[in-house]
Amino acid sequence: MTDSDSDRAPDHAPHDGTDRATPRPLSRRSFLKGASAVTAGTAAVGEAMAGQAAAEAAAAEAASRGTRLAGRVAVELEINGAKRTAQVEPRTTLLSTLRHHLDRPLTGTKEVCDRGNCGACTVLIDGEPVYACLTLASRCTGKSITTVEGLGSPQDLSDVQAAFVEKDAQMCGFCTPGFVVATTACLAKHANPDRDTIRTELSGNICRCGTYGHVFDAAEAVRDRRTGAGASEKGGEQR
Amino acid sequence: MSVRREESAWEPRDKMTVLDRDIPRVDGPEKVTGRARYTHDVRLPNMLYARLVLAQIPRATVDELDLTAAREVPGVVHVEADKEVGADLAYLGDDSVLAFVAAETPEAAHDGARAVRFALSPKAPVVTREQSLDPESPSITRRGNVRAGRGARNAEEVEAKVGSSAHSITATYTLPIQHHVSLETHGCVVDLDAEAGEATVYASTQMVSGNASSFAGLLGLDASKVRVVCQHMGGGFGSKFGPGLEGAIACRIARATGRPVHLMLDRPQEFQMAGNRSGTHAEVSLACDADGVLTAASGQIDRLGGVGGGSFPGFPYIYDCESAANARSVYTALDSSRAMRAPGHPQGSFVMESALDELAFAAGIGPLDIRMKNAPDEVWKRHLSVVADAIGWSSHPHTDGPGREGPDGWAEGIGFGLATWRAGGAPGGQCEVKIERDGSVVSSCGVQDLGTGSRTYVAAIPAEELGLEVSGVTARIGDSVLPPGVGSGGSVTTGSIAPVIKHAAHRAREAFEERLSEVSTAKVGEFTWEGGRVRANDGSLDIEFTEACKLLGNSAIVGSSNFRDAQHLVAEGRLHGAQAARVRVDTLTGRVVVVDMVAIQDMGLPLNRLAARSQVNGGLIQALSYGLLEERVLDPVHGWLLTGNLENYKIAGSREIGGIRSIIDDEDDRWKATGMAEAPVIPGQSAIANAIFNACGARVRSLPFTPDRVLDALSKRG
Repeated sequence: MTDSDSDRAPDHAPHDGTDRATPRPLSRRSFLKGASAVTAGTAAVGEAMAGQAAAEAAAAEAASRGTRLAGRVAVELEINGAKRTAQVEPRTTLLSTLRHHLDRPLTGTKEVCDRGNCGACTVLIDGEPVYACLTLASRCTGKSITTVEGLGSPQDLSDVQAAFVEKDAQMCGFCTPGFVVATTACLAKHANPDRDTIRTELSGNICRCGTYGHVFDAAEAVRDRRTGAGASEKGGEQR
Repeated sequence: MSVRREESAWEPRDKMTVLDRDIPRVDGPEKVTGRARYTHDVRLPNMLYARLVLAQIPRATVDELDLTAAREVPGVVHVEADKEVGADLAYLGDDSVLAFVAAETPEAAHDGARAVRFALSPKAPVVTREQSLDPESPSITRRGNVRAGRGARNAEEVEAKVGSSAHSITATYTLPIQHHVSLETHGCVVDLDAEAGEATVYASTQMVSGNASSFAGLLGLDASKVRVVCQHMGGGFGSKFGPGLEGAIACRIARATGRPVHLMLDRPQEFQMAGNRSGTHAEVSLACDADGVLTAASGQIDRLGGVGGGSFPGFPYIYDCESAANARSVYTALDSSRAMRAPGHPQGSFVMESALDELAFAAGIGPLDIRMKNAPDEVWKRHLSVVADAIGWSSHPHTDGPGREGPDGWAEGIGFGLATWRAGGAPGGQCEVKIERDGSVVSSCGVQDLGTGSRTYVAAIPAEELGLEVSGVTARIGDSVLPPGVGSGGSVTTGSIAPVIKHAAHRAREAFEERLSEVSTAKVGEFTWEGGRVRANDGSLDIEFTEACKLLGNSAIVGSSNFRDAQHLVAEGRLHGAQAARVRVDTLTGRVVVVDMVAIQDMGLPLNRLAARSQVNGGLIQALSYGLLEERVLDPVHGWLLTGNLENYKIAGSREIGGIRSIIDDEDDRWKATGMAEAPVIPGQSAIANAIFNACGARVRSLPFTPDRVLDALSKRG
């Protein structure tokens, strides 16, 4: 593999962290040379979670078959109950697949930090909330993926979505899809959560406008309606 | 069609059926289902994804910049340098942009950006105040590293007054640079049709109308050929007005490639180059007489706005006494601060409210009492009483001075702070209300909705005027082809636009009544519009609104107005606001838990009480976040930004906040609509600092109040 090949297929390690660690003089070239050593591992990035040994094994296996694991492959994903196919690379995240690589992109799932800090990309995989930015698309075959679009439509809101509108659990709305999905998961997991449980279950999502209290109110309103405890409805003016 | 220019007035509270109520936002269903399309979400056929390549040290010379490898990356379509070899990088920010890449997919753009090879020779970073003021340091701007203030003429006199007053304190307060952290980063999608000589730009902007000419300039087109669209935006908080360097580069790529270009900053780039709230270093003195009435204020305030001037509203902030405080700008090699929700005021509030609290303790006066004595008007005094009651001050065990921790190490305290902002609007906005024969009503204005709820009142105000439900009116906003709106900065949007919509709706109604006067005996002004019906007051007509519209034939009714014509509806004067915080302090670990925050806010006529509470609650939470967590940190040796993503620049999450309560001041009898979103973000961190002192006697003089700072303050308490 030539040096320029290494440039074409850089690894997926966080760019900034590596670059910041580069000593003076700050040369991108020396970094890239270092990066080329791990390029073989890039080919098996889907196996990265299994560790270096697994990556090497996968690369060796690929070499023995005379194939590369880099490049695009078609994956079939079940998204919101429908089969969707997408051409993805081994390193392509589920978030990028939803937003960029479907024939009709699903852009409700938001990209805010792209590294698991904010929860804006929360989707359900087999009912469990996960960060789509930390999930590889190739790992999602055979699983049921639900995005915010799959929970309801403007004409047919889910009870959680309707409560978000009613309680104004949104301002700019960019974190809202993630909160809607996380709240849906919270209320699937807990039949009768108290406010503290709701806070904890939603602590993987951040909002800059400051809608948290309204989100908790929405979650409680859904809980109360589902459990028939409508009496604990709170008045609007204070939260 | 003649439109009568008669004065209109907001209905009194007891007559309103739509406004002054909780109105769920009209775009809520789109937002909660992921259908709302933000700039990030725009997908056009044949679209390229562009990505910037940034240097990560503030000052350097570009020794090498090689794009060859980047051009060879599969999927990369365009690579261009933004700096030449030999160029000097002056500061960390948009001056860090070295090159840019456009590719078929975001992944290919990422690969291409990584393949841009560059080498830099770093220079002394100059990223802190101390480095900037060091006489050995290089000059950051052509004017040097300090731009001095004018200086007070009465400085000596005021200094003498501080010294001769019954009580005085002198202290140093510091506030770090804060980031806006809009969840949608800066950027745009440029769709240029070079052949036709026109373009549509989708931009995440707080200023839709004003941007068409800016983008036209960048694209080499007439403004009349450029349309700017922003239907939804993921926060701005003052940082998103013009195209920015990222917008200019998107236009360059569009012109070079002839393809639509999607260029949004990624999160680390957003932290590096998308603006911030300036930091502050303030050494101040404050004095009062034996009764606790302020006598004099003085000091030196440094605004730390990077290569920009920064902002600070003056000392003693909203309070009145003779002042000789002098503010200056101290430049560092960082991107310029930008307007951020109530520019300067949270800093000014923290310095003054902390100093006032320290002075109260020195004078043996309670923190609420000294504010009651010195609040400049009766509204603030009433606001203080309201929040004091709501937070439980009267049953608090130590209202004159600080308490002490219990056997478990925890202490509890309450603190206060006041706010101000101006009411009213800014000129330039125009609106149009159109009523069609089929009964549809469209209310149009080229304003934008940052999440404040402007789209909702654009529909709700004509609904109130015409006796319809909110759903009976369609709001059209966020598009530069509409009648011009105003830029959304400084809480001016509502104060600028709401009166104009109201007046346009009123004119539409009058024009409609003129037509109805032909089929009834009633004259213009003698009709009642309510419950989806139109009734002539003399009983000569009583029909459904939709039936009345059928009488319009082929000519729709259009009512339009502008800021000048609607002047009689525009609010003026100033806003107030008071906040109180109750905190618990773990004196063993230095951890601060905000148990409860309460705000009261005046806002004239609250158009939408639900959205207004959202604004005030959000202000409290942002202030809490500023107080406890947020701090831009730079490595002073290399100048690297150490807080370049959300894992190390923390903002408040669901477990950081306690009770958050907002009270709309319904005793405000100025019955005019105004924006007010700046005011509630101002005093919360001040109230928290004062609550920490009230809890345990630890005076924290630097934001954020992290455990190390609280422990340090505890070690110094008397």
